[in-house]
Parts: sequence; structure tokens; C-alpha cells
Amino acid sequence: MKRLSVISFIAIMATLVMFLPSCSVQPCYEETNPLLKTVLLASGTGEAAKADSLRVYTYRETDTLRFINLKGASAFSVPLDPASDESEFLITLNGITDTAVIRYSRKPHLVSPECGYTIISELTGLKTTHNIIDTLIIENKSVNLDGQKNLHLFY
Amino acid sequence: MVRRTCIFFISLFMIAENVAVSQDTVTVPLHVRAGFDISGPVMKLVTKELISYGIAASADINSSIAATAGLRYSSYHSSDVLYDFMSRGLSFTAGTDYNFIKANVSQGRHSAGIGLRYGLSFYREETPKLRYTNEWGTGETSVAAESHTGHFLEITPGVRTELFRGVTIGWNLYMRLLLSAGAGKDLKPVWMPGYGPGTSGMTVGAEYYVSISIPYRKIKVYIKPKVRDTEEEEGEATETGSGTGTGLSGFRNPL
Repeated sequence: MKRLSVISFIAIMATLVMFLPSCSVQPCYEETNPLLKTVLLASGTGEAAKADSLRVYTYRETDTLRFINLKGASAFSVPLDPASDESEFLITLNGITDTAVIRYSRKPHLVSPECGYTIISELTGLKTTHNIIDTLIIENKSVNLDGQKNLHLFY
Repeated sequence: MVRRTCIFFISLFMIAENVAVSQDTVTVPLHVRAGFDISGPVMKLVTKELISYGIAASADINSSIAATAGLRYSSYHSSDVLYDFMSRGLSFTAGTDYNFIKANVSQGRHSAGIGLRYGLSFYREETPKLRYTNEWGTGETSVAAESHTGHFLEITPGVRTELFRGVTIGWNLYMRLLLSAGAGKDLKPVWMPGYGPGTSGMTVGAEYYVSISIPYRKIKVYIKPKVRDTEEEEGEATETGSGTGTGLSGFRNPL
């Protein structure tokens, strides 16, 4: 009977030790923001190109969202609008501005119980003006948390 | 006549051997058991997110192996700033338990061993609200309810003993390995009924069962004689022999 009590005590303690951590709020350490990654390439050679200056932003009805403002950039990453099936970006490369419209489908993705959900996207198409941009092509359709390159921008 | 005498003595030896074997057998009752997990209702007092009720049944196949099956209903609901999630469903497990305690010690009443089970979870999950935030701002959306089937393996070391005649209690730790949540890689369940967090490849925990136990058959189990005791006796005899200074030692000394 004494042995039984010891076993029962160990069992109850083991149960509490295993379950109680799940009761506390756990912090989120994971990346939760999927980004559209674009690589700058030299038109004609296809080699990596570094822009002297790069700005990426968008106009909204109420404000302007400024995503990128860099010097000497060879790539940039921007988030897509998770509330819409297309995002419009103004890309100013070496002082010359082009407009790129990216279309995509969206779906929720569970990052973890601690971090919750995020919206990942699948690129379906794009169009751009050609003031400085020569070509903008889709390299990888999946805009998720993997951090892979999605677009190749030739200028 | 001589031939008949030989046959008689050989028969006696054979009978004598049978008698010796019968002394090394124990009669062990095989049981069927049915019980419920009391850790589920207890944990409901600790966490309000999870309701989990489990029942299990097992039947001894022999003195060390039992076939086991379990059924569990789970309902999970969590609500916080980032999302609301709910899932509920039934899970089934089936497998075998192996008892490490020898039959002559356990007498069919005690068990300390390990079990291996396959689990199947039929569940429905829904995310009525999920909130996302990035540089574009904050928004809300939802994921409609969908039904899925998940699979997992369960390894359960544990102990069980007879509390009263016909009533056993026992607990087992479990380590569950997710084979598939059945919901795709994007919408893994925050909680898969019968398994746990669907985002985790392995979950651990404990269950505490109270069962009724009914003997349904008795079997005789052969217990191997303790060879070590015989060796020890022989060893003791040798030591005693050498201590007297007689036998072989008497021949070695002159060399």
C-alpha cells in the first residue's frame, strides 16, 4: 500500500509537471511576416546589379507606406497587402520611378500556437511600367516564411 | 528382463522430470480490463481550454502481452489576441502492452511495462477569428470549419496494480509521434484531439486509469529455474572443498 502511494504521488507530480507549462503563455520567437524578395539584375548580362539608390513605397488613400529607402542595394524585400489580392509598389531606382502591380492569391498559415497565423501568398501575375525597369519576372511563386527569392528585376 | 528393467527406470526418470517441470510452473489468471482516464477530468480543473475523456480496454493474450484499445473524446477551445481556435473529435488507439514483470511475481495482478499503439483521430477544426499584422496594417479573417483525419504512434511506458479485487489502477506516460495531422502544412491544428499540438512532431504526457478487471481464463506459465542459485551452490561447494585441503589441491601443492 505504501508502494502504491509512492507510485500515485510520482504519477500525479509527473502529470502536473508535464501539463502545467502548457498553461502559461509562451513567447513567440518565430518569423511571422512573409516577404516578397526581389533581386536586382543587370539587363543584358543578367549579373547582380547594385543600385545607387532604391526606394520602394506605395500610396494609399490616407497615407504613404515607405518600405525601402536604401543606398547600394542589390535586393529588397517587401510585404504584400494581406487584405487584398494585389499590391501596388512604386519603385524608384537611381531616381527614376516605375510602378509595379503584383497579383496573388492568399491563404492563412499557422506559424505556431504561440505566434498564431500569418497570411502567405501565391503569385499569379504582375505588370510594370518600363521607365527604368526592363523586365520583372516571377522566379518563385510562393511568398512564405522560407525567405526564398521571388522576383528578378532587370534594369 | 534387463530390457524391461531399463525401460522402467527410463520411464521413472521421465516422470521425475515432469514432476520437476510442474514445480516450475505457476497458474496465472488472464484478465480483461475496462477503465477510464481520471487525468482528463482532473486537468479540466487546471486548464479550461481542454476537455478530454478517455476510456480504455485491454485483454491479456498471455502472461506478458495484452491487446489494448482506447477511445477518447477531446474538445479544445482557445481564445487570445492573435486567434480563436476550436477543435473537437474522437480518437482511437489500438496496440499491445508488454509486461516486464515475471508471471510468478505479477500473478496477473501487477504490470510494469511498455505499450506501442497506433492512433487515429477524427476531428473538426475551426478558426473563427485570426488576426494578422504587418506594415500594411492589422486585419482579421477566419478559417471555416473542416473535418480531418490524423494518424499518430504512441509509446507508453507505465505501471498498473490491483487496488482491490477486481479493481486496478495504473498510470502511464505517453510519447506520441505524429504521422500526419491530415490538414495540410498550412493549417495544422493548434490541438489535434487525441494527440495534442498538431504543430509538434512529438508530444508527451501522462494518463491515470482506474479499471475493473475480470479474469476470464487461467494459464500455466513455465518459470525458468534459477540457474544462478545452482552455480552459487556449486561455487560454495568448491570453496568448501578447497578449504579442507583435500582433493585436487592436495595434488597441486607438491608441484
